[in-house]
Amino acid sequence: MNTVTIEHLTKNFKKITAIDDLSLKIEKGKITGLIGSDGSGKTTLIRLIIGLLLPDHGKISVLGLDPETQKDELNKKIGYMPQKFGLYEDLTVIENLRLYADLKNVPHNFEKLLEFTNLKKFQLRLAGALSGGMKQKLGLACVLLGSPEFLLLDEPSVGVDPISRRDLMQMVRDLISPETTVLWSTAYLDEAHSFDKTVVLNQGKAIYQGKPYDLAKTTEEFENKVIDLMGGYRKTKSRIAENYIPKNSDVEYTVVADNLEKLYGDFYAVRNNSFKIKKGEIFGLLGPNGAGKSTSFKMMCGLLKPTGGTARIMGIDIKEDPEKARANLGYMAQKFSLYESLTVKQNLDFFAEIYGIHDKNLKKRVDEIIDIFGFSETRKQKSGELPLGFKQKLSLACALIHNPPILFLDEPTSGVDVITRREFWNHIKSLAQKGVTVLVTTHFMDEAEYCDRISLFYKGEAVAIGTPSVLKKKVSATSMEEAFMKLILESEK
Amino acid sequence: MRILRALVKKEILQIVRDPSSIIISFVLPLISILIYMYGINLDFVTVNIGIKNDDNSPEITRLVNSFSCSKYINSEVSDNMDYLTEKLIRSKIKGMVIIPNDFSNRLEQKQSADLMVITDGSEVNTANYLQNYILQISNQWLAASKYAQFVSPQIVNPQVRIWYNQDSNGYYFILPGSIAITMTLIGILLTALVVAREWERGTMESLLSSNVTRFHIVLGKYIPYFILGMLSMIFNLILCIGVFRVPFHGSYIVLTLVSALFLFTSMGIGLLISTVLKNQFFASQIAVGIGFLPALLLSGFVFPISSMPEILQYITRILPPRYFITFIESEFMAGTVLSIAIKSSVFLLILGGLLFGAVYRNTDMRLSHD
Repeated sequence: MNTVTIEHLTKNFKKITAIDDLSLKIEKGKITGLIGSDGSGKTTLIRLIIGLLLPDHGKISVLGLDPETQKDELNKKIGYMPQKFGLYEDLTVIENLRLYADLKNVPHNFEKLLEFTNLKKFQLRLAGALSGGMKQKLGLACVLLGSPEFLLLDEPSVGVDPISRRDLMQMVRDLISPETTVLWSTAYLDEAHSFDKTVVLNQGKAIYQGKPYDLAKTTEEFENKVIDLMGGYRKTKSRIAENYIPKNSDVEYTVVADNLEKLYGDFYAVRNNSFKIKKGEIFGLLGPNGAGKSTSFKMMCGLLKPTGGTARIMGIDIKEDPEKARANLGYMAQKFSLYESLTVKQNLDFFAEIYGIHDKNLKKRVDEIIDIFGFSETRKQKSGELPLGFKQKLSLACALIHNPPILFLDEPTSGVDVITRREFWNHIKSLAQKGVTVLVTTHFMDEAEYCDRISLFYKGEAVAIGTPSVLKKKVSATSMEEAFMKLILESEK
Repeated sequence: MRILRALVKKEILQIVRDPSSIIISFVLPLISILIYMYGINLDFVTVNIGIKNDDNSPEITRLVNSFSCSKYINSEVSDNMDYLTEKLIRSKIKGMVIIPNDFSNRLEQKQSADLMVITDGSEVNTANYLQNYILQISNQWLAASKYAQFVSPQIVNPQVRIWYNQDSNGYYFILPGSIAITMTLIGILLTALVVAREWERGTMESLLSSNVTRFHIVLGKYIPYFILGMLSMIFNLILCIGVFRVPFHGSYIVLTLVSALFLFTSMGIGLLISTVLKNQFFASQIAVGIGFLPALLLSGFVFPISSMPEILQYITRILPPRYFITFIESEFMAGTVLSIAIKSSVFLLILGGLLFGAVYRNTDMRLSHD
């Protein structure tokens, strides 16, 4: 039995072919993972399946219905969670649940859902004030109302920490009946590996359909296989690092946090945060959503004033001379913070200018950056229209434009596909070898392994600092993910 | 029914949480009424004039004094022409009267005497007003002076009565008209953002994949903002009638019914903008452009429609405030005039119905990718 049957499906947007002669079957009662690079057509495919978009050619049958003509019928049987979760941020948790229960015409019986999501305590909190992980759980709870036959989740775990991801997976497995079909789009290949089925999309075509286990036995192998399917990743010398011109300085510890503290009312967002990062070191900040990583970040680059303690960048106190300290930093924010309506080149020009590169030097530097980052083809495109991976690369380029000795990267690979992630880390590691100090946050535990040292953050405090192997040994874990969970559990006690 | 109720409830919760719609509904009318009440005054205000009197006869001194008798005129007497000219240039005085030294002599000899009046033409209304005022005062003085015998008596004596607004209070007709302008803006502003907001925040995608129908989406927006708009209307009327004591001669029931129809049309404009544009920033820009300027300039509130070029007169016919302004001004000042009320209602109903249809048709039930 198949929940979805797709035959020769094609969908074009203007000149771009999003789905290209795709044929696909999604088996009933199974969890199917949908993976693929950015812009490979995952979201478009999901929207076509539930009739939010109409195909140009081809046939789709979902639960025996035609989404083009029988969308109303179909809507009653499905649960769809869009990328932004579809929550009303100005309604409370319980109001969101009531609204979606009414829309689906099911009774107001939320006890079980609230218990599973651990949202019982937060019923009266506005959805907008929830952490990323909690929003995602609430979004899922709203979708699960009325026990849909077919559940479609579009990248529910973007930017969510490993603990919340595990909870989410557990929720789905516990709350659906054995007959429920799930289509789950994800950038996490470990997640995809644990599903019953997997579909790998590439440029609008399904390049693999089947059991993930048949493709590879372990998660790592699976990742390599998927990369191979997508055309492979060849590690080349990072041209970004090659073209980096190190600045001479005799500061040994380039980034120092000295008892950093941020107090909101009587709530410590960050406290007792101290660490020293050596020149050329990659230092990872890990921790669940809302643990205070971003707050620490913002304080360290002088965007937020600490209520106690201080930080020193290249020996310059950020409290005393934030501007001078900041001039040594390249900062990449969590959200895409470039001008979406400007083209790639215009963004680069702008950032070069504000970092004090002018006239002849500016043109030379921007041309150089366009060349080494491979933006020649996209230089005239509006940055808002680029696929996520490209956007992140552009953000990195803007952060590096003034050759800073220190890089601050806040979740640089969130929502980026596996090949782009590998490229990114190749650049980061090569830059570190040339003496750039890197402070990075991430939710990918495999990336944590690339760091020289890690600080694990929880509830505003660093609960453990050390190299990945030391941290794993400390709780006798085999993987970083296991170490993460165990260390956090331990600190709870 | 349950779906519609849930959508309306959701929208009301959003209204309560979001201060901007409350500000639009209640603070905007307050500010606008205060501006129309005190800022835009079509009534005469106190004007300063200068007087240079070169004639020293006592009879003429009385004329000079009577220029200061009006509560709307302050006069300053000076012998220094340069000084007065300087004051006129600096706009400290709006005009001057120069009485030549042979003024009384010529009158004594039953000759016509010249009085020089200079006004500041850069403010045409004030200049006209001053001119009339000075003429009137000098005629009055003449009639009471010993020279009155030389003037032939007037045969025609017009007796002027002003109907509907006996006190000639400008704000008696400005305030009701301003309600129409404010309510156009409120109706459009409240609704222009609400559909676009759902698209931008991605909640529309969730709604479209639930059991919601097109009818639910459209009514789910109309109903809550209609309620809020009517509350705002009542607030406007309380300010107007209760606080600023504008006399109301019409029927509250008729007023409420036609106001409701008017709100229905201006909400239709806002919702149409929002539904088509799907972008909050763009929608708010357009809303102010469409909502405010034509309502102010083309509705007959500021400039009479009959004096507009013909093409503009046709355009005014599709503007809801045009009908509402006519209606509300007559309702306030003359009481219910059935023909006006019915004509306005019919037009508003047609316009509102067309807009509702357009909103309904343009409500997408799928994502149209751009």
